[in-house]
Amino acid sequence: MSDRETVDFLAGVPLLAGRDEADLAELARVMRRRTVQEGETLWRQGDDPRELALIVDGTVSASVQVTGGRAAEIGRSGRGEIVGLIGVLDGEGHATSVRVTETATVLALGRLDFAALLAGQQPSAFRLKRHLATLLAARLRSQLEYLAVSLGGAAAGPPAPEAAKICDELEDARAPDSRYVRRMATFHDFDPLALWGFLTSGRYVRCPPGRTLLAEGAPSTAYYLTINGAVEKVIVRGDRRIRVGLAGPGKAFGYESLIDGRPSPVTAITRERALLLVVPRDLFGRLFNGEDTVSRGFLDVIQKDLMATLRETLRPCARLAASR
Amino acid sequence: MCRILAYLGEPLPVEQLLFDTDNSLVRQSYSPRLMNTFLNLAGFGMKAWDPTSLRPDDPFTYRATALPSFDRNLRFISSKVASTCLVAHVRGVTYSGEAVVADTNLHPFHFAGARVVLAHNGHLRQFARMRYSLIEHVRPELAQRIEGTTDSEWIYALILSQLDDPYGVPETRELAEATADALRILRDVRAAHGIDTSSPVNLCVGTGRSVVATRVSFDYGWYPPEDEMLETDLPFVSLWYAIGGAYTEQDGSWQMTPGEPPRSVIIASEPLTADFSSWLEVPEYSMLTAELTPAGLAFETRDLDV
Repeated sequence: MSDRETVDFLAGVPLLAGRDEADLAELARVMRRRTVQEGETLWRQGDDPRELALIVDGTVSASVQVTGGRAAEIGRSGRGEIVGLIGVLDGEGHATSVRVTETATVLALGRLDFAALLAGQQPSAFRLKRHLATLLAARLRSQLEYLAVSLGGAAAGPPAPEAAKICDELEDARAPDSRYVRRMATFHDFDPLALWGFLTSGRYVRCPPGRTLLAEGAPSTAYYLTINGAVEKVIVRGDRRIRVGLAGPGKAFGYESLIDGRPSPVTAITRERALLLVVPRDLFGRLFNGEDTVSRGFLDVIQKDLMATLRETLRPCARLAASR
Repeated sequence: MCRILAYLGEPLPVEQLLFDTDNSLVRQSYSPRLMNTFLNLAGFGMKAWDPTSLRPDDPFTYRATALPSFDRNLRFISSKVASTCLVAHVRGVTYSGEAVVADTNLHPFHFAGARVVLAHNGHLRQFARMRYSLIEHVRPELAQRIEGTTDSEWIYALILSQLDDPYGVPETRELAEATADALRILRDVRAAHGIDTSSPVNLCVGTGRSVVATRVSFDYGWYPPEDEMLETDLPFVSLWYAIGGAYTEQDGSWQMTPGEPPRSVIIASEPLTADFSSWLEVPEYSMLTAELTPAGLAFETRDLDV
């Protein structure tokens, strides 16, 4: 594969869309091309995430350890797809083991090199963060759909107009003390002024326990961030349900729908009484598509949340895969 | 805050759970992986049932306020005991002059003559305000046995008080119901006193034949202002389990062998290995029950709505 071919290949990768040719040529120089034979392992789950891999050709299988020393395959990836993103982004060890199932050529990008692409205030870094959020939201949706199918039946969400009214009916509340918010891990790296900008961007509401804020299958009208209390994210089919996440303080929900324009993949119900920051759709759009420090922090918060949710959701997916 | 561990299954040298793995319970006393800002340096305790020992229904008991990592007696004993049921605990307390580090506050709690023991990971905020309202829910003879200053010992007395016979070995179902009932009483007493801040109650309750564990928190996500434990309490207090045939070392790594039906289960605040991959997270707001039966290990998880 010549340098020219590498650049052409990178130009077709959705995550890198919008980068100019000089940028891609620079990226091609720092990526390491490898041919990996069928049966070989790129890395094991839990390994130090030193790199991610872009698949040029061939196929790889991602698997997760399940109890009893077994591994369950949770997906396959091929040309143009990326593996190893979660570990490289959150630094907590590769989320899956990746084994080559059909001899593959991969372009490996080191963690620090990838971090450099995301750093800074230039438009390309913002664009990459948005592409990343879109890609991760699609992966999350795919994992959630896999779980939903296992329950059988169809989601029974409220009619769309009812879902849209939910936010308006909640009781307004005062903003939280910013010293409390700053102690949440979510906001440790947030620039203080940007945090203030973010915290004053929406409306605060109080919500009693047991309230459905978002229904699977209905469009989300807002991004919700839990300040106090907890919100369960569930998939419900008749009397069967899977809890796919718990949004406690500093965790968000409702944004997948706002990123990709599709209906919500989960139902969100307050488990505890909750104080929530509600960022309506239009404001979400401005924050998501902006290119200032507030938007940068906001995109980081979404990215962290997606990482954590993807890791959480992998577990029931693995259990399900192992049981089949 | 603390760390808890329960084991039920095939005979297993206790040292393998306490010392040998790279995130063993003793290691969690000075280097917990899933706790922010706190260490667990206020003592160690365990109850270990060994069916080959004299009076096998009575567990080996070891409790000491010494740091377990430097406790040679603990190492010696744990290398000689192969247990089919273990409940163990390393205690963490707030770094303040009000904390009482004493033998009487060490878990697992076990009143003389009783067959149930309890270890607790969590804390009931503003416990001093509710302590004496719990009296009416605790049998008088049990209340008289409370020696320490912890909320956990009261939870223990409360659970025993919900059993038909506090000194017998309850069926697993009865023990599970008693535990859930005790949590409901705590919820009601908290409400009566207007206490509405986060109070995690992760419990391991054991009898030698069965273990009941909970992962719950009252008012999760709500904290008092200037809370010194905030960073520790912001994430839901963790609880994990590994289930399968037997817990063994293979090629330098510890894990459960496959087992269907399962024969052994470990329940712990944190996985006992840095590699979490073969461990499962206990869902928030849920209860686990495990029981040794002639056919293997009966194991269930269920939602706990308290």
